[in-house]
Amino acid sequence: MTAIADVFPSVVPVPEVREPGEGRRRIIGALTIVLGLFIIFVFGFGSVSGSHSVVTFNPINTSSGAPWGLSDLTVLTRWWNVVLGLIALAVGVETWLRRPAGALARFGVGGVMFFLALLLWSVRQPGPAPIGNINLTSVLVNSSAVIMVLIYGSLSGVLCERSGVVNIAIEGQFIGGAVAGAMVDSVTNSFWLAALVGILVGGLVGWLLALLAVRYVADQIIVGVVIVTLMGSISSYLNIQVLAPYPNLNIGNQPSNVAIPLLYKIPVIGPTLFDENMFFYVAIALVALISFGLFRTRWGLRVRSVGEHPKAAESVGISVARVRYTTVILGGAVAGLGGVAFIATQGQFQPGITSGYGYIALAAMIFGKWKPSGAVVASIIFGLSAYMVQNLQNSNVPISTEFLTMFPYLVTIAVVAGLIGRVRPPAADGVPYKRD
Amino acid sequence: MRVELKGITKRFGSFTANDQINLVVEPGEIHCLLGENGAGKSTLMNVLFGLLRAEEGEILIDGKPVNFANSGEAVRSGIGMVHQHFMLVPVFTAAENVVLGFEPTKSFNRLDHKTANAQIHELSQKFGLDVDPDAVVENLSVGLQQRVEILKALSHDAELLILDEPTAVLTPQEIEALMEIMRSLAKDGKSILFITHKLKEVRAVADVITVIRQGRVIDSVRPTETEGQLASLMVGREVNLTVQKEATQLGDTVLELRDVVVRDDRGLAVVNGVSLDVRAGEIVALAGVQGNGQTELAEAISGLRSVESGSITLRGQNITNLSPREILDAGLGHVPEDRQRDGLVLSMSVADNLVLNTPRRAPFARRGTRNLSAVASNATELVQRFDIRTSSVESTASSLSGGNQQKVIVARELSRPLTCFMASQPTRGLDVGSIEYVHRQIVNQRNEGLGVFIISSELDEVVALGDRIAVMFAGKITGIVDPSASREDIGLLMAGATMVSHD
Repeated sequence: MTAIADVFPSVVPVPEVREPGEGRRRIIGALTIVLGLFIIFVFGFGSVSGSHSVVTFNPINTSSGAPWGLSDLTVLTRWWNVVLGLIALAVGVETWLRRPAGALARFGVGGVMFFLALLLWSVRQPGPAPIGNINLTSVLVNSSAVIMVLIYGSLSGVLCERSGVVNIAIEGQFIGGAVAGAMVDSVTNSFWLAALVGILVGGLVGWLLALLAVRYVADQIIVGVVIVTLMGSISSYLNIQVLAPYPNLNIGNQPSNVAIPLLYKIPVIGPTLFDENMFFYVAIALVALISFGLFRTRWGLRVRSVGEHPKAAESVGISVARVRYTTVILGGAVAGLGGVAFIATQGQFQPGITSGYGYIALAAMIFGKWKPSGAVVASIIFGLSAYMVQNLQNSNVPISTEFLTMFPYLVTIAVVAGLIGRVRPPAADGVPYKRD
Repeated sequence: MRVELKGITKRFGSFTANDQINLVVEPGEIHCLLGENGAGKSTLMNVLFGLLRAEEGEILIDGKPVNFANSGEAVRSGIGMVHQHFMLVPVFTAAENVVLGFEPTKSFNRLDHKTANAQIHELSQKFGLDVDPDAVVENLSVGLQQRVEILKALSHDAELLILDEPTAVLTPQEIEALMEIMRSLAKDGKSILFITHKLKEVRAVADVITVIRQGRVIDSVRPTETEGQLASLMVGREVNLTVQKEATQLGDTVLELRDVVVRDDRGLAVVNGVSLDVRAGEIVALAGVQGNGQTELAEAISGLRSVESGSITLRGQNITNLSPREILDAGLGHVPEDRQRDGLVLSMSVADNLVLNTPRRAPFARRGTRNLSAVASNATELVQRFDIRTSSVESTASSLSGGNQQKVIVARELSRPLTCFMASQPTRGLDVGSIEYVHRQIVNQRNEGLGVFIISSELDEVVALGDRIAVMFAGKITGIVDPSASREDIGLLMAGATMVSHD
């Protein structure tokens, strides 16, 4: 038997519990390895020996003259892709064998390699594509519209969900902003006024969501879906009854770009980031502003406390209902502005023009781990792949675009399933709060 | 600050939770509010803290009547509350939690972390409450989280501190430390309202004890009263606080755990190599502070959670990673920790709940059709045998009191042939009367030769019931002791000390 009296004081420290994530890191490594092998054997050896691809960097048309030039690059498709694939492979093997801290970033490297190899492969000559070159600058410039709208949407999602309300109605706020923006701009010829009305309409839709979710404690997902359906129907109705008979209410103006002196001349980056319309710059400013607001200010601390533990917030005198109302209305306003921004790049309004970007924005928000900065990275990834889908559709490339369309969703599923990095939503996200 | 409650009455529908309650807390006094679960203590405190509105009565602070519309106003009047379930945001730092709602700011509404940290530092120094302001709360132990809660209340200049069942989640050593803190606060002139149903603590720390029963103040007494007197005041009749047990008649080993490893939902190995035997005719009680892997261990034994490695054997049959149904059929009776979530289907009738684990078997079902008359007669019999107080066997389980809900589960599990009976937190939230009853049932089973495995975070219960006491800490068994071992020793084991063998 053991004598209990003389066994102390051998107090041991709390044993370290093994961290999870070992398996996850292997999965990420394996995925990156698969990516590398795919690049080597499909994009590399899948290209005829001696075929070449041309990459150009100069913008096709800009509003403000030619920037500093960069000469075209002609590469041997097969060997360049083999090299790109090897890079991905090496990074994948490293992630599998050793334990680098940034496993996710390494998967990102694999993704970039995949994207570049796909571009080279799709324009190889001799090959199926009619044009033998890919313009990197125009790829980026043309995808910036979708990236921008995704940024607006995911910022809206971040705001609402940080306060504990799931805003699945982003799509509806986009639609509202887009219709209102198209009409106001057609009448007043001012995108500033259109933006203002878009903000009001989006805020109104946000208010409706908040009313049902906060005041009437309804299921947020169902309410959100209903609101999207409602906004879709309203826009169809307006389109048939108002926009179609009065085409001068739907002119389809597009705002001109504002080039930032000197910066716009930087090759590739310049035309992409520094020669955009005002909505693009506003989006960037909002990212910084919301990031600062949420994580540096008193307002942000309170919003996050309501999204994490509403009862704790209430117990120190913070009104959960008021915080959720204002944040959701604000989030709606951001998405409404996003709708105006989107219509400003697309021209005339048509029903269905937002084509589900509100939902992809939600995915981007999750991928970005409920952070504004993360949402931007995710928006860029999703935006680029969305652009690739559209572009490849137009260019006779023998690759199933339906396959590519799946990409953002597959990535989202992987993220939500916890395969890539740990995602942790605000603890009270989507949970209605009722005072007792 | 002197706080006076006068004639407070709070009703929920037709139910009167507080009935004409009078209470005075003097400055520098540790005032205990003693009562069973459901006696109305928490309701009263929520009224005082502005979370609930009373129908009648008034609250006086230093003689002046006050009326709180919300808890923010109560806080500004100098009342602080440490809730039973901590009101802390787990992903925030200690400092962020302390200043929430009263944040010091710089220009542009920016949080002023420097001032916040300085505030906390000053309070920590003054009252001996050491906490790292930059530590993220979810990484702190429960005892430290409680300190953050106390600091939060003090930082709002609380003069009256309400502590709602503060010891439920603490080790005996942490409880001792908390009492030390309470005494030092009282010495500084702060008043403390200490809510509990644990008699030992009351006697150790209180200046005045007010006993509440069924929403009414029964008496105000001094801590010199004996535990027995306090218990009978609380329950309203004589209570037998000790469990009568005969000597053990040990049989074969019925439940055998070997190096069991179980992961929790986050993937952490919270049960990390547990080995334990339970023999027929004995009660093995597993002690430990909540959250040290007991819940996951119980789930693994009953088949609700997969076992990563190791083996679980029930009288020679390997039941590791079998389905719950197979494990039930092998002869394990199981009273789960959360009876409302895992033990009952609240919206179903008492009769249906009583056959929840045998619905497909004769006589309750034949050829896929239920035999409702057999279900009803089974229910009538069990309700009588186990003294379940219900208006009818067709009433929903949700309409029963906590004690009677627990009786339904115990009746169900004991009404079929068992090899081993396992109960997690068998008396959590029950009144003293029901505790007595459940304990007697458990001892009866042991006397009839069943192996019984009890998991409990109540040290009193563990000591009263266990023939052997195993202590669990951080996923491991830190020691197995006799019930005659001192509480202090068991406490040390609960805090992670290990036993050295002297064979």
